Amino acid sequence: MQERVELSHRQINQELLAANLKGPRWWWLLVPALVLVVMGAASAAGYMYNRGLGVTGLNRPIFWGIFIVNFVFWIGISHAGVMLSAILRLSHAEWRRPATRAAELLTVFSLMTAAMFPGIIHPGRPWRIYWTFPFDFSRGIWPDVRSALIWDPSAIFTYLTGSTLFVIIALIPDMAVLRDRTTGVKHVIYRFLSLGWRGTPRQWKLQIVAGILLSALLLPVFVSVHSIVSWDFGMAVSVEGWHATIFAPYFVIGAVLSGVAAVVTMMALMRWAFHWEHYIRPEHFDALGRLLIAIALGWFFFFSLEFMFGLYSLEGPEVSLRQMQMFQMPWGALFITFITTAFFIPITLWQFKRVRRNILLMFLISILVNIGMWLERFLIVVPGLMRKQPLTFVWGGYTPSPVEITLVVASFIFVALMVLLFAKVFPLIPLFDIKEGQVLKDEVQVGRVRVPAVMREE
Amino acid sequence: MHTPSGNSHQGTVPSTPQEVVRHGLERMTSAGPLFRGTVIVLGALFALGIVGFIIRASQGFDDRLPWGYYAAVFGYFLTTAQSAPMVAIALRAVKAGWRRPVARVAEMWTVVGVLNLLWFLPIMALVPTIEGRRSLWVTRPIGAPHAWDLLVVLFLAVCGLGLLYTSALPDLAAVREKGSGFRQRFARTLSSFWRGTRLQWNVLYGGIALLGTFYAMLLVFGHALLSTDVAMSMVPGWKDAIFPAFHALSGLQSAVAVVIVTLFVLRTWGGYKEQIHVDQFWGLSKLLLAFSLLWFYFWFSGFITFWYGRAPTEQVLLRYLYFESYRLPFLMAFFLNFVAPIFLVLLWNPFRKSILGPTLAAAFILVGTLFDRIRIYVAAFSAGDPFADALEHVPAAHLPGVPDILIVVGGLAGAVLMYMLAVRLIPVMAWWELKEGLLLRRVRPFLRRHMTVVAKPD
Repeated sequence: MQERVELSHRQINQELLAANLKGPRWWWLLVPALVLVVMGAASAAGYMYNRGLGVTGLNRPIFWGIFIVNFVFWIGISHAGVMLSAILRLSHAEWRRPATRAAELLTVFSLMTAAMFPGIIHPGRPWRIYWTFPFDFSRGIWPDVRSALIWDPSAIFTYLTGSTLFVIIALIPDMAVLRDRTTGVKHVIYRFLSLGWRGTPRQWKLQIVAGILLSALLLPVFVSVHSIVSWDFGMAVSVEGWHATIFAPYFVIGAVLSGVAAVVTMMALMRWAFHWEHYIRPEHFDALGRLLIAIALGWFFFFSLEFMFGLYSLEGPEVSLRQMQMFQMPWGALFITFITTAFFIPITLWQFKRVRRNILLMFLISILVNIGMWLERFLIVVPGLMRKQPLTFVWGGYTPSPVEITLVVASFIFVALMVLLFAKVFPLIPLFDIKEGQVLKDEVQVGRVRVPAVMREE
Repeated sequence: MHTPSGNSHQGTVPSTPQEVVRHGLERMTSAGPLFRGTVIVLGALFALGIVGFIIRASQGFDDRLPWGYYAAVFGYFLTTAQSAPMVAIALRAVKAGWRRPVARVAEMWTVVGVLNLLWFLPIMALVPTIEGRRSLWVTRPIGAPHAWDLLVVLFLAVCGLGLLYTSALPDLAAVREKGSGFRQRFARTLSSFWRGTRLQWNVLYGGIALLGTFYAMLLVFGHALLSTDVAMSMVPGWKDAIFPAFHALSGLQSAVAVVIVTLFVLRTWGGYKEQIHVDQFWGLSKLLLAFSLLWFYFWFSGFITFWYGRAPTEQVLLRYLYFESYRLPFLMAFFLNFVAPIFLVLLWNPFRKSILGPTLAAAFILVGTLFDRIRIYVAAFSAGDPFADALEHVPAAHLPGVPDILIVVGGLAGAVLMYMLAVRLIPVMAWWELKEGLLLRRVRPFLRRHMTVVAKPD
């Protein structure tokens, strides 16, 4: 990390805890506004419960619309946490330090948001959701326990539990810092949350071991979550374009792409909102940009395979579906928007270091990526169902209703609101990680130049 | 040199740049009886392989069934030797400090690309045209698939040699200056223009990055294309979008494995104990663990989609490739590529952080991959009419005859022989990278112990 600024521990505490101990003024204006929007969306959901799913655009044969698209999208965003935090932690990537907590938070809040869609929004009658659970003794029916639809919640809640633990473990030392700087009720709460942390060598060792163990354990869970979500589609033989063996890794790498892009968005916002220029620097965006190049290329490889093997079959319906996706309006326009925003524009711009180090540009590109990735899921879910031929007698179109659009838009506001609420209570950048980075930094004299160096972590 | 703290990373290279070159030249020029004996045995086996090829060729190219094992060796070279440079490319890209003794060892395997190019020529006569059958060549370009496949194999070989040459240039110049005899003449011919100016170094760094990127993309593309054209498309009804990705992933796993085994051989019998340390095995074993887990994930993603889908065509394929005809090679591959390396070796920290453990796992994988390529390519060549829509029944397995065994053993011996001969001409350690590493590392006191400090120049 070439641009690291020399910071004392006192300065790190002051700057990173300012949002918790004082709080910026805009927070008090923005949060109520966001609460109002979320409440408005809750009203829309209430209206939908009252009137039924008829107020949505769902109809035969398209029973999965943008609620499911949004579910898949948010599951995708949740992959940022493990990708950045766990993998970079295990690989000792030095630039991870300011990014990890933002990534972990995105995981937790986006998983919560994702779970709401199939859990309480998409069913229309959420009080009946328990009928899908695989226990039967009083009901006399057996949901298929081999179904991906049953395994979905298991994977999601395992991932949510693990990710929440991941956040908590990393928060403990910072809780202790807050405990020592607060009084009254706040002090009592932080004392409770810091779990008796004194910073002894044994506590540090346990905290590090727990972090590494959770990182390693969460990796397979992280892969399994989106794989199982992909099998919701991949196991359906009757829907054109869905029964593809590549869906699991294709979904996972797409999720990683959108998740890491979302971390870029969040880090830019954090830098601007809290003035953390010393901590979130252009070199971090540069590193994230290079990582995104690799991920985007990997994603494009899987996308190409998925698309090419649709044509490879030479089966009429499958080829027609691809033609419809590419050449028939409005799908063709959506397809072009998707592929240009998710891949071609970003990958071209990320090649330039000047772009990767420009925070505004990186912010805008990261948003473009996620627009594209949202459309990608839309183009997988809806056109396939429109052409679900063998088992249906009705063909129909699909236009999302205002209720659906409201709930989908509100999901973004909800995640933003949750992050802001978190930011008021807990530090968004791990203090101990930043301090560790300061301790481990060094310089090496090479010829006539002093080169920034870092002590190698064991 | 072991540091007081027990950190042993400083012991990976001789302590001065002059020593690096002196030791390297000494190793290049000294050929003991073991080396000569191995070369003679490998040469004899390779000659037997040529005999096997002549016997097979004398039976003609009309029936592709007897050529399955020959094609499997082509797939094996692509998966192991030609994939090995990816280790150097990836580790250079992430600037891993421990890569320095590994990079050239990995790149040197590109010499086998020339053998594989020659190996591919008869296969062109065995692959049918694409008219009237499934293929990736949807738009039917002129010469597909033969000419395009040949171009990929050719480019891969040329690009690999280009990468090896570019990265070896400063070391060849060192041989030119310090060496003697035919090696010096060879080095002078190839590196006469190298003076080590700043411009030349900048071009060298850029060239390595550019050629590495191009090679990586070409390799992944080559895996996708060749595995589809030479294997999957020859089996009626086999439409498996993840298969090309699985083939490429298997290539990455085997690449790490082949580099580990080579490092072990060089360390144990090649006199490179001072350069190749446990650090290299430890770093590579983590990659091997990740790729072995991914091997299972990619395989399972394809398998479960077919198995759960219950489509009759796919059930026959499962019986053919996994459960009946090629059950033995599949079980061997599954055990040796996934179960044995992970559960017997890589899961356990003490084994993973050793020299013997990763080598054992790598050896398992190299044998397992051979079984897997036999399963894939022999099955493809013995599946019957590639113009049929689907497999009507499960074809019988094709067992190897004496010429097949000669071809397989001879081919493998030829590849190793080429590597051993190349090591006599081109330094198997990247001297300039080792010297660079000496400049960028220090051991410094930190509290009550010593830590390695690594400078990051950019």
